[in-house]
Amino acid sequence: MARRALWRSGAAKDAVPRIAHLDRDRPLVEAAKRDPARFDALYRRYLARVYSYAYYELGDHHAAEDATAATFVSALTNLDRFEERARPADGEGASTFRVWLFQIARNEVAGERRRARRRPTEPIGETVVADPLDVESAAVRRDEARAAWRAVGRLPGERRQAMVLRFVDELSTAEIAGVLGRSEGAVRVLIHRALRSVARDLGVSERSGGERGSAS
Amino acid sequence: MSLIRRDSGEVEALITDRYLDSLLAIQPTADRDRGPLGAELRADASIGAAVRAVSRRLATDLPRFHPSFRFEERLALRLAEVAASMRLPIAAGGEGQAMAIRELHPALPDPLRVAGDDEDDRDARPLLIGGAVAASALSLAGAWLAWRRRTSPMTRAIRAAHQLRLPGGGA
Repeated sequence: MARRALWRSGAAKDAVPRIAHLDRDRPLVEAAKRDPARFDALYRRYLARVYSYAYYELGDHHAAEDATAATFVSALTNLDRFEERARPADGEGASTFRVWLFQIARNEVAGERRRARRRPTEPIGETVVADPLDVESAAVRRDEARAAWRAVGRLPGERRQAMVLRFVDELSTAEIAGVLGRSEGAVRVLIHRALRSVARDLGVSERSGGERGSAS
Repeated sequence: MSLIRRDSGEVEALITDRYLDSLLAIQPTADRDRGPLGAELRADASIGAAVRAVSRRLATDLPRFHPSFRFEERLALRLAEVAASMRLPIAAGGEGQAMAIRELHPALPDPLRVAGDDEDDRDARPLLIGGAVAASALSLAGAWLAWRRRTSPMTRAIRAAHQLRLPGGGA
């Protein structure tokens, strides 16, 4: 009642609600909030994406599995704290649940990195993450793909994360901004610069255009 | 960095972002480098040729990995266990329902009931058991009844046997 009265007042007329219910995961999230057993549908939907993100970041199957498991358990136990906050500008496919999920995944990956650093048996002191395509050579044999990943792997932290979220997990810029805690403009610039770095690394010049570089 | 240069960088980044939106919207991944839309994007001159080429290459070449089926099912099982443990507090009182104890088993008389073994009328009051499963309800009901009774069933049985032995049934 109070809201209706406020809407009639002149001051509220221009107050277009900034939060719109656009989360395409909303039915699944609401079902899981009512009955935690229904979380399984969200788990199946996002398992490969979360795992891929963890794998690209950590470069190790076991570490990626640990981070993935921790992400989903944390998401399930904290689901009641999740609030949908998609904006109209986020587009039709916007999903704040998935932003929230990747925020958790990012934290878990960071935690996994810290734990790995404390384990001296596995030297991962390099700034460049391991190359998962070496392990997955049966699935991805092309040298070009390997070269592309290596070039992405050589990018500094946030640029690399933004590239993986954009190209592998296919998140929108707005979603990546939510995951990384940056503005959309900052993420756009981050990705644009990353693409130019990768192009240089792969030997793709403005003149060569679409020609595939030979650097690896 | 000058303001104009910074602005032009942001504009370039914005155009690249729109290009990526179009590129990644093409399904399946293999068609990104072929097909009519792929060809259109390949010829898009709004962004630099190098960025355009690298974008197409990354969109096509970077795979998405799936964990092993074994891991997937193991984690699914673990999540189901976590979900079950989250449902327990709800069952224990989160969604309370009034259940009358006497209505649980109205046909069962108390086999050890002895005349004169006074029972409080308050026993007939309903007990609030929040959404518990029948087994839990029965356990709680049993515990509650045992607590309510002043004497144990064994005591009452001994007392009944004693009454039968004594002439006149008196103590």
